[in-house]
Amino acid sequence: MRIRVDPELCTGHALCQLHGPDVYVLDDLGYNTTSSRVVPPELWEQARKGALACPEGAIAIEEDENDEDGSTSAS
Amino acid sequence: MTVGNAGEGRQMDGQPERRVRRPLIDFDHYRQRSLSESDTAWRRAREQSPVAWTEANGGHWVVSGYREVASAFKNWEAFSSARTEPEFSSLSVGSLRIAPLYPEELDPPAWQPLRRIVNELLSPGAVRRLQPRVAYWVTYYIDQVIESGQSEMAADIACPVPAAVALELLGFPQSDWERISNAFHGTASLDRQTVDFAQAVEDLDWVSTRIREELSERRRNPRDDAMSFIVSHEVDGRPISPSDAEALVLLVVGGGVDTTTSLTSAALVHLNRYPELREPLVEDPALLDSGTEEFLRMYPPARTHARIAARDTELGGCPIAKGDRVLLSEVSACHDEGAFADAGRFIVDRFPNRHAAFGLGIHRCPGSHLARAQFKETMRQVLTRMPDYVVDPGQITEYPNWSSIGGWARIPATFTPGRRLL
Repeated sequence: MRIRVDPELCTGHALCQLHGPDVYVLDDLGYNTTSSRVVPPELWEQARKGALACPEGAIAIEEDENDEDGSTSAS
Repeated sequence: MTVGNAGEGRQMDGQPERRVRRPLIDFDHYRQRSLSESDTAWRRAREQSPVAWTEANGGHWVVSGYREVASAFKNWEAFSSARTEPEFSSLSVGSLRIAPLYPEELDPPAWQPLRRIVNELLSPGAVRRLQPRVAYWVTYYIDQVIESGQSEMAADIACPVPAAVALELLGFPQSDWERISNAFHGTASLDRQTVDFAQAVEDLDWVSTRIREELSERRRNPRDDAMSFIVSHEVDGRPISPSDAEALVLLVVGGGVDTTTSLTSAALVHLNRYPELREPLVEDPALLDSGTEEFLRMYPPARTHARIAARDTELGGCPIAKGDRVLLSEVSACHDEGAFADAGRFIVDRFPNRHAAFGLGIHRCPGSHLARAQFKETMRQVLTRMPDYVVDPGQITEYPNWSSIGGWARIPATFTPGRRLL
């Protein structure tokens, strides 16, 4: 699984980090600086919840065929 | 309410198949005199058309659908919040005379350096550092009533806590807090025909004067407070101008003192009706997190914000002309059934909950992190120290107008007395 954050859309609500504290890194002002990263399986749940929580729709999740748990991608 | 389609059948240039839609709606948010009147009027507006034109207040667009509200909030190039008239707010339709609020009433690029200052003051990290002060003031104000077993919770807790936190952070002397808080709370909570309302409006001018005096003092003698931090900043390589600094402080004061108040009051009233939610909210921090978002969604303190079309554009299939006033409804977006399943029901663990209570896009409420922290601390302490509070529903008094800021003027409660902690 890979997450992609669009810095143009992030306006610093910081809700991704509330739901995905081990996935999403915020800068000092609360904006998401994680442009793109691969997420290990143990953090998929956090990654998905953080993406779903974003009211700006700034976070896209790309799941590989290897991810194998049948979840659909969130964006 | 009536709906029509003025202009239907006319064709837009170059797009022969697209019809010009201008649904007319009989709608005036200044007529919304209670929470239920406001919620009902917005529901009807959504049912009729997510974007419609009203002739009220000089004529303006009414945007009630989640998708359309979100899309306009995120498109600041087309839907500008920049001040266009020196004396009147760009953030409400009709004529509200108030000094400018920066950076909210600025578009980029001028918005950027001032927004950065507010973000630095109210970032998640700054709020974590403020948490002890938040906890202190919640404890302090509960202490003032805890031994008596009775409290008017709006005036005793919901109002003074956010005011103390914001005004202490900025550096106003404690002797000013109550009058500053009352100026904003009064203009929102009092009937417009009363002497007290006129006094509150006059006091808004006094607030501006006090801001000017304090900023000028900070330029001479900087202290360890946010007003000193603000005047020490540079904007475009030059010290921040006095007028920019004033507009920024007014935004932090105005945004800080009566908005979290509204959210706290809403939750206290809600939990009076549904007391079974109290214990779970205290016991389970995750539930307080999700519950906070649901209180925000059900009862957004800022119910509407206006914009001005900066160019010809389109929203929800409606042609918006440059210069048109556009009223965006946070509350209607938050209650839109198309965006939230069972939107009319309070679901404490609702997820996802991408509500629009803090606005969306670049002007997203910069105080949102502080608001959440204050709200959660207040609820934790109230529900721990006054877990059995009861309000007589007949004694609850709402604000007389729910056009832009909604809230409660009086929440008189009784509870089992407890001990002071400070």
